[in-house]
Amino acid sequence: MALTPRSRTPSRTGTPIPGRSPSRLVVPHTLRPTHSLSNLHVHSHGSPSAMSATLPTQSTSVTAHATPPTNHELDSSASSVDNVEGILVQEADTDVDTIDEEEGNAVGYIAADPESKQNLRDQLRRTLSKRQSNADITSPRASQKRRHVDVDEIAHDSAPAYPPREYFVLTDAGKPVFTSRPGGDDSEDLSSTMGITQAIISVFLDEGDKLRCINAGNTRITFLLRPPLYYVCVSSWGEPESVTRSHLEYLHLQILSVVTATQLRRIFERRTNFDLRRLLNGAETFMTSLLFRLEFDMAMSTSSLRCLKLDAAIRSRAAEALAPTSKMKDILYIILIARGSVITLIRPKKHSIHPADLHILMNTVHAPSILNSPASASWIPVCLPKFNPAGFVNSYISFLRKGEEEAQQADSSGGESAETPTRDDSRPHNGDASSTVSPERSGKPNTHKLDSGIALVCISGGGEFETVRTWCDAVTKKLESEATLDAISDAIRSGSTEYSVSELGIPGLRHFVYKSRSHVQVTLPTFEEPYDSLHEKRRIITLYQILHDAIHAKSGQEGPLKLQYIRTERESVMGWITQPFELYIALSPRLPKSAAVGAANAVARWVKKEEGRLFLRDAPVF
Amino acid sequence: MADPASGSGDKSVQVKLVLLGEAAVGKSSVVLRFVSNEFQANKEPTIGAAFLTQKCRLEDRVLRYEIWDTAGQERFHSLAPMYYRNAQAAVVVYDVTKASSLEKAKSWVKELQRQANPNIVIALAGNKVDLVLPSPSTSGANSLSESEDEADDATATPGETPGADSQPESLRQVPREEAQAYAAEANLLFFETSAKTGEGVVEIFTEIAKKIPIEHILASTRGGAGRPGAAGARPGQRQEGVNLEENQAKSKDACNC
Repeated sequence: MALTPRSRTPSRTGTPIPGRSPSRLVVPHTLRPTHSLSNLHVHSHGSPSAMSATLPTQSTSVTAHATPPTNHELDSSASSVDNVEGILVQEADTDVDTIDEEEGNAVGYIAADPESKQNLRDQLRRTLSKRQSNADITSPRASQKRRHVDVDEIAHDSAPAYPPREYFVLTDAGKPVFTSRPGGDDSEDLSSTMGITQAIISVFLDEGDKLRCINAGNTRITFLLRPPLYYVCVSSWGEPESVTRSHLEYLHLQILSVVTATQLRRIFERRTNFDLRRLLNGAETFMTSLLFRLEFDMAMSTSSLRCLKLDAAIRSRAAEALAPTSKMKDILYIILIARGSVITLIRPKKHSIHPADLHILMNTVHAPSILNSPASASWIPVCLPKFNPAGFVNSYISFLRKGEEEAQQADSSGGESAETPTRDDSRPHNGDASSTVSPERSGKPNTHKLDSGIALVCISGGGEFETVRTWCDAVTKKLESEATLDAISDAIRSGSTEYSVSELGIPGLRHFVYKSRSHVQVTLPTFEEPYDSLHEKRRIITLYQILHDAIHAKSGQEGPLKLQYIRTERESVMGWITQPFELYIALSPRLPKSAAVGAANAVARWVKKEEGRLFLRDAPVF
Repeated sequence: MADPASGSGDKSVQVKLVLLGEAAVGKSSVVLRFVSNEFQANKEPTIGAAFLTQKCRLEDRVLRYEIWDTAGQERFHSLAPMYYRNAQAAVVVYDVTKASSLEKAKSWVKELQRQANPNIVIALAGNKVDLVLPSPSTSGANSLSESEDEADDATATPGETPGADSQPESLRQVPREEAQAYAAEANLLFFETSAKTGEGVVEIFTEIAKKIPIEHILASTRGGAGRPGAAGARPGQRQEGVNLEENQAKSKDACNC
């Protein structure tokens, strides 16, 4: 019963671009029926994603579909809109997953053996079309209702465990580029996986269609086609399709940051079966750490920035020290980072930074080869794909305070670096290892350091390292002499850069994520009991992602929601979007719905009051 | 190009040095041994380039090495000129267990001799000698008896045990004589090193320090204030006076500051 096909409305998120689809997309885009075996759903371009997890539902849901929630006294003026900012890009396209360009559609996969390929294709066609008959039985249903049912099915613990997601990147010729699978990428198993993937994708491409995902039981395989590269994610966590899709999109951006879009296109124009691993040699760690990060980073899931909670005076003192002199040419951004969060960001008047670029940059800066290096500075070429996909900028990275001491401090303060992947060394098996802040944490290996430390990052368009270094040395001296660095270190040590949900004093509130839409920034308290184990943290984040997906209608829903409330056995969660903010709250399941609304308002009021410390509101421009 | 702020008033002379070589030959490990006297197995590959400094005492002088440890991956090749452009010294590293890495090293040397500062001092370093036993024929006067002991100590993996004679020998792909002959021909300093045991690492930097025309650097960084006459004469004398084969042990003590 739960294996119902989705409504057939054309997807909004993955829009076909008829004008830009040459050779491959010969067949005009039609709403072709989805094919599915009894336990296999294939969702191609024409049909929005589905959540076909099939566990019986135990949760209830109330959804206000684009209805102003007047009767609950929602106080949407709790946070005001101020549009004067613009540190970060906040257009619609900040969502990485809404960009569905068909750049370089002139792909050509290499068919090593046309006959076997044809056989595979026929086989696929035969099996996939079996379903069409029973589709008619299940499809006539109120699509909206069905969607909510499906959401609920996912919403409770459909995934009792969270096996590591698997990610693959391959070329459109079927050559492996990257795999998240531990143990290397030379196994036979892997090349056959890549081969099958390439074949399945090409079956759909031949029909002028694009494969988006396959649902098989609790497992969903999501595909992202960015020719000449294909991206695949296999997950059984029950998250919306838009989530894994955005992971793949980030993976794509990370690869572009290493080779640039232009270089990539040129290489594959010359040699369609180029082995990209040669060029990405040494860059695998970027992708691995990006995937760690994507798992818990709410700023990445909401396409925004998370800045370090800090006294506004310290922040502006740091910002002043960072303002470049006039002789500094070609400077793009200057960023001060602590514990993986931005303290301040200086930029040219005309350039806002795109959140996705910032996340790629943060991930690059915290790569182990830079973080663990004894070097006083690193100087690396990076392509910021949203800024300029065609070229590199140089990034000067200097860790002013190293991570080790910070890691210890974090332990002593009992603080946990909220959504950072620092403790994820236990990722593969260890579902609930970190249930309490305990001494054994400090005994864990060096992956702690992944996101700690204070770093100065200077992005410049020019190649004048000495100028940049001399200037950055001067900035560092200034930060030291004005005791700004000490003040930041002290703040981190005392735990005041993080906060507990208990500080808000809202009864029943367990956790929340607040996104200021005007600032394009999020804030959230530390993940505390009951969300302090990896397993529970994954569960609550998945719930937040479901809400986020629904209120933005990212998976082809009929329309965005203003408010969604889901009750599971263990908590109730609510997502709420208003003009100035998006809010996701987790509450005790015993609270009545009206209390949830009250709590949401209280959170919004508290954030408004604390805004100066929680968000980066202004920084010098030049 | 010198950083005036870090001169700290003493006789410290700044020497820009760049490390080049194929990926995974151990450039960063050589630097880590020199700068921190540490060794990390399974180091992450360098991205772009890392900048490090280390002071080094040579007789009455203090040299401050400003070291560019570059990434060996092919995609970073085009950036190299940025690092060697103003360098006074270069260490080109290859892996004694990988013949192709010497070929890459040779092409780096060629590029340096063609495009870098004409006075650049270039050292060729064959790293990872801990993986190959010093065979009787190749251990020349240059190896310290002490370093042979160290090499033995470091043989933790089965393939490297002194007992398994044939295996370590087969690991070596670049005979010492071949590399040494090439180095002599191209006028390079030559060392076989092990970042793992420390063998030969400090010696590279010490010998470079001896060969660097220090007075020339001083004169040029001070602008007109230097003594051009002296700068012209001294380096020549120095270079003639240096005997690479002598005082190895002594210089090691002298430099490890």
